[in-house]
Amino acid sequence: MAAGPMALRRAGVVAAAAARGLATRAGRPRHRSPLPRTPWTVRGPPPEVLAELAEPRSVREQVELDTVTYAERLHYVPGLARPRFPAWERGWRDPWHSPGPRYEEMALYKERGCYICHQGVRMLEGVRQAQWLTKTKLVEGLPPAVQGILDNPALGLQELEERAERMVSHARLWDTAEVAPRRERYCPMLFENLIHICRLMSGKFPSLSKRMLARNCRIAATWERESILLQVRGPSGILMNSMTPIPPVASKEEILATKEHVLETFYPIAPTIDLQEVNVYKELNDTGFRDGYPYSHPHTLFLLESANIRTNRFRPEQLRAKMLMFAFGNALAKAKALHGNDPKVLEQPVVVQSIGTDGQLFQFMVFQLNTTDLVSNDGIKNLVWIDSDQNLYERAQCVPEVKKRVVTKPAGISGFQPDTFKKFLALYLHGTV
Amino acid sequence: MAALGARRVLRPGRRWFSETVPGAPAPLAGPLYPPVVASITAKSKAAKSRRLQRFNERVHGAATVEEKLRLYGKLQRPKYMVYPQTFALNADRWYRSFTKTVLVPGMPPRAAAAKPPIAAAGAAETGRAPEPSAEAPGAAEAPGAATAPEPSAGTSLYPDIGELRSLACDALLQESFYQKKKRPFLYRDQDHTPGPFLTQLVSSLASSLSGRNPLLAASSLDLNPEVNYYWHHGNEVVVHGHRKGRVDPVRFQIDDNPHLQIRVPKQLPEVVPLESDLGDVPVIDHKPSKLPLFKKQYENKVFIGFWNEADVTRPFVSQAVVTDGKYFAFFCYQLNTLALTSETIKNNPRKNICWGTDSKPLYDVVEDGDVKGFNDEVLLQLVNFLLNRPKEL
Repeated sequence: MAAGPMALRRAGVVAAAAARGLATRAGRPRHRSPLPRTPWTVRGPPPEVLAELAEPRSVREQVELDTVTYAERLHYVPGLARPRFPAWERGWRDPWHSPGPRYEEMALYKERGCYICHQGVRMLEGVRQAQWLTKTKLVEGLPPAVQGILDNPALGLQELEERAERMVSHARLWDTAEVAPRRERYCPMLFENLIHICRLMSGKFPSLSKRMLARNCRIAATWERESILLQVRGPSGILMNSMTPIPPVASKEEILATKEHVLETFYPIAPTIDLQEVNVYKELNDTGFRDGYPYSHPHTLFLLESANIRTNRFRPEQLRAKMLMFAFGNALAKAKALHGNDPKVLEQPVVVQSIGTDGQLFQFMVFQLNTTDLVSNDGIKNLVWIDSDQNLYERAQCVPEVKKRVVTKPAGISGFQPDTFKKFLALYLHGTV
Repeated sequence: MAALGARRVLRPGRRWFSETVPGAPAPLAGPLYPPVVASITAKSKAAKSRRLQRFNERVHGAATVEEKLRLYGKLQRPKYMVYPQTFALNADRWYRSFTKTVLVPGMPPRAAAAKPPIAAAGAAETGRAPEPSAEAPGAAEAPGAATAPEPSAGTSLYPDIGELRSLACDALLQESFYQKKKRPFLYRDQDHTPGPFLTQLVSSLASSLSGRNPLLAASSLDLNPEVNYYWHHGNEVVVHGHRKGRVDPVRFQIDDNPHLQIRVPKQLPEVVPLESDLGDVPVIDHKPSKLPLFKKQYENKVFIGFWNEADVTRPFVSQAVVTDGKYFAFFCYQLNTLALTSETIKNNPRKNICWGTDSKPLYDVVEDGDVKGFNDEVLLQLVNFLLNRPKEL
């Protein structure tokens, strides 16, 4: 079969490449050497091309069609241009076919944009970005007060380990009629079981009964950070409220020492990346509860990543950032409710804890709000203690894995870490014990 | 022929007359022939009952529970889906006839007469999300969890009713007044306020009473669990299809999702002895599809320890609370028998018993951060349920 010169060339290229033992892909030849020297590559593209790249015009404008159209003829005529008619107006407002007010016409429209952090925000820089936005200094590990509860043998945390392991087995293995429960089922169930064990401790510590869980509570907090307006909004997970606030975790010296700390920036990435910018907003500070609520102090925030599909779940770093932002939002709203909206350093710092999990990995966090003066980059900063990536158990096999008729992984929970559950319980007991 | 004849004569080992050979075994005692039983494969009633008997023996003899479940659930035929929360009229009579239950109004008598008014331990159970109060005395609950009400001799510590009342009021106020919520989703009013209120109420009551009831301290709380049971009751003739004309047992399966369930490790003690007869079971001669009840073919879900062939050896008692957030109705169910199929029900004198109250309001109205008309009796009954425990604890 006679092949054209291009086909032959391609065949020759392929044959040559095959002779050299390389697998080549068809495509544009990529320059592996420095670019050839042409006026464009030396002096840059000409100004017309640059202007065109900056502001692309529609094809009609570029070609400058000012031709005769068949609009007056009222029917298509070959050779004449297609007319562009003005948009049809109904003349009256039909509510079923109404586009709605534009952003500029809405009542709450403001020129200055506001960056909102909500439950779906996955920050690129993770905890570093959340630290900059909330003017916080990070301390690795849990604070000494919580460590003290962990190490206190009088609390009898040992007997509960066995119950915790049974709860894990219940949530991960037993609770279904199918083979294995899905994450949307076992993650909340594991959380409920662990909270139930913690709540039953109120038999021993009566002051624990002054706690109340609130689901689907919404939070709103606004603050300004170096001329950027920021907000935390939306449903904030499961919040445990208590009648008495948690005592401050850090000493006065530590708080004063945060003055010297410098917040990390990540130039050239702006700190508001991945936040939703809106022009229609209300500057609101709302704890989600009315005045007179007896359990007025937020104690712990629980964030569960229970989506079945892995891409819908947050990565641990993004989850930690989200936990920090929402704990900060709850603390800020509470502080503003207690002390007013003026930015100042708090004499009584507000402490809010947060636990995030996806059913297996746990992230523990204790946040202390020291100041509501967040505009400038220096001064007293807030503090956060993060204990990240604690596994509660290594693996939960519903069906034993058998390779070549030998059981490689037996069924059941393996690698249960009681320390993670102890930290969970310690964070629950913090503030009353 | 001659050769044959010769063979017949000359075959070695053949004796013309019997001899006693030393060392031969004595004749076997007992029947010489295998027992005469019905065929397995014939199309007859006797053969059908033989097949059924063989199946029962297989299930009895299965080594593990998984094996038993697999055998019992292998054959899927259309069965009636029974919903405890139903809008059908007089469904309670129908359900009582399906499950051979006697309904006794009021609560079971408490053991200790001289008891302080606040005591009595009971494991309170699932609070169902809204159900109209007309249904309250109806529908026998599925025997999902096992907790029985038992009046305990509440001696030293009886809970402070004021504290429990404040817990209940706090939970109610949080859900209905203090927490700022959006409008309820369409037709989902029960998820907006009563559902969270019940969860909060039961979990905080259970945790505060766990010091007094060790059974509660070892309990576990399930939210929205699945409760299923599959059983046979009565006979019917298959109406159409390739199996037309055959006599089949009527199959039922309950699929229920109660709002909340407390499971305890130990059985609650019985209220009345196993063989007691407290009333009559209604007998309904119509087909269940007239209720209305619909058939579907899907998996048989059952947890086998006891089933209709292996009846319960001790009564299973469970408590239930049916509520819509404001009105509460309390029930106590004692399961005495599971043998409800047409063969096993013939010689079975036992009946299941259900005690039930009418629905009473917990409060009158909530306005401006204040609960008006709080009814202590309802809370007391709930606390009694929660504090119920076996005698030995």
